[in-house]
Amino acid sequence: MEANKLLFVVERDVRLFFQYKFLIIMRAIWFVSQIALFGIIASRLVAVPDYFPYYVSGLSVMSLYSAAIFIGFDIYEEAEHGVFEYLLSLPVSRRQLVLGRSIGGGLRAFIYVGPLIAVSLYVIGAVNPLNFLLALFSLFLFAFGVSGFSITVAVMIKSSDRFDILMGVLDALIVRLSTAMYPLAYVTQANPLYGWIANFNPVTFASDLFRWGTGIEAIITLNNPLLPLLGVMLFFGVFMFLGTMIYDRRIEGGGWQ
Amino acid sequence: MAPIIRITDLTKKFGNVTAVDHLNLEVEEGEILGLLGPNGAGKTTTILMLATVIRPTDGTATVGEYDIRKNPEKVRGLLGIAFQEPKMLWVSTPWDIVNWHAKVCGLSTEERKRRVKEVLESLEMWEARHRNVHALSGGMRKRVEMAKVLIQRPKIAIVDEPTAQIDIVGKHRIWNMLTELRDEGSTIILATNELYEADVLSDRVGIIHRGKMLVCDTPKKLKDSILGGDIIDIQLEEAASPDIFQELKKFKDVVDVLQLKPFNLRIYLNKVEEVIPKIVNMLTKKDSPIVSLRMTEPSLDDVFVHYTGLTIEEAQKSGE
Ligand SMILES: Nc1ncnc2c1ncn2[C@@H]1O[C@H](COP(=O)(O)OP(=O)(O)OP(=O)(O)O)[C@@H](O)[C@H]1O
Ligand SMILES: [Mg+2]
Repeated sequence: MEANKLLFVVERDVRLFFQYKFLIIMRAIWFVSQIALFGIIASRLVAVPDYFPYYVSGLSVMSLYSAAIFIGFDIYEEAEHGVFEYLLSLPVSRRQLVLGRSIGGGLRAFIYVGPLIAVSLYVIGAVNPLNFLLALFSLFLFAFGVSGFSITVAVMIKSSDRFDILMGVLDALIVRLSTAMYPLAYVTQANPLYGWIANFNPVTFASDLFRWGTGIEAIITLNNPLLPLLGVMLFFGVFMFLGTMIYDRRIEGGGWQ
Repeated sequence: MAPIIRITDLTKKFGNVTAVDHLNLEVEEGEILGLLGPNGAGKTTTILMLATVIRPTDGTATVGEYDIRKNPEKVRGLLGIAFQEPKMLWVSTPWDIVNWHAKVCGLSTEERKRRVKEVLESLEMWEARHRNVHALSGGMRKRVEMAKVLIQRPKIAIVDEPTAQIDIVGKHRIWNMLTELRDEGSTIILATNELYEADVLSDRVGIIHRGKMLVCDTPKKLKDSILGGDIIDIQLEEAASPDIFQELKKFKDVVDVLQLKPFNLRIYLNKVEEVIPKIVNMLTKKDSPIVSLRMTEPSLDDVFVHYTGLTIEEAQKSGE
């Protein structure tokens, strides 16, 4: 029964996302053009061998990240229509609600980005089944963590304008200070501090694991997938926990802008 | 039997606005309790606290055997609420909304399908069930909001202005459905500022004003409680002078005189048969011709006016 409720919460967020058809289509177009245009053209510029598959895999993680962030915007939409209060009145615990929504927010990002990833894998033509499963699993956790992160921040800020701006800035920082678009060695070369930060960045963990899992990492091989895996798990755990705490503390109907 | 809801000194402040002010109330199991009050009285705030959506500043309430502060989750398990403003995303459809609600509230698949259809049909929303919320009228959205609770049939149903924006046929249908729900054993809290609705539906009515519960009893007892079991409405040819006002108040059996409009007086009194001739005499002597004179029984309007000291019009304005 209780587990069912969690599933219903997850189901709701997944279904809701796919109601936004315009957004879905536009993002897919964006994704494809990033690969077909930017990826292909920029990899001619870059001296790193096989930059193209490197970029495509990083792009997949970036897309997953921004699709999972989307749930924070949903929360504002809900606050505006009072749906937030409705959800709070349901016979569902706050914990189930945050957990369900983080999972829902991550899962839908995954369902959405999944086919795009599959397309890009096909383009690259590289699959290593066993590692791939582990990588997939960690991408799942990563997506849940990002969506928990987004919920936490949305609930803390309570202002959709500020959230929008902050997420834009964070997106730039988090993605750029990671290995999504360039190998760690280059980041560190540019500035050791950047490298140090990128080392602890969940986007780095997810990108590295994905490349390791798909076997498309030609530049630096990840010998030990355990560390980024632990990193992703920690990221997921922290934001589930924080999300629940903050949801419970800060949440009340009203006070949203 | 112990009351199913016991509200003690419940208080909610929003900044320096005290929306609910040491409110006390007991609700018996199986009754429809009307919460009647003007705009801004604190009805919705009280309801949201009971539903554990917002936290009290002070005081508390028990619902079933659970305290809203200590066991909010258990409380929510007993409640179903239809909000004053329909709470729904515009991309959703009525069917999505009520179907998901029924699932989360634990209805079995078979029961859910049956009731969703039944209730949407009764509320004439079955045809429109796959339309997006943004394409529905205000009244239709309100119907969807009500449908959630009617499908759920919670132990305690809270409905906030359940028929606002709904046409007259719809109103009657919802009133019937709420009465049925009560007859099947649910307890209902009905917040409204429609006196008629409170009167026909409620077993007991609590009048709430500026966050306080002024009085709570059966509509009949409330009507009887205003001194002067009778009311006469007098329309004069010209505005009543203060002098006439004073004279009227002097009659032993006259309890209260209200000037509804410059030309209209409402007199609350006892022994109406004996007093009327005297009043007519007095007015004739004062050269103030009577246009019409009508005897009525007190309605909840009068109760409301009596306890809040406001006319309905004033009450509506005070909240704005
Ligand atoms: N979230 C909020 N923030 C600040 N003030 C609020 C908030 N909610 C309600 N209030 C104030 O609390 C008071 C009571 O409001 P409430 O909504 O409970 O009244 P009500 O009896 O339901 O009125 P209505 O008949 O208009 O629905 C009002 O003065 C209102 O302005
Ligand atoms: Mg209200």
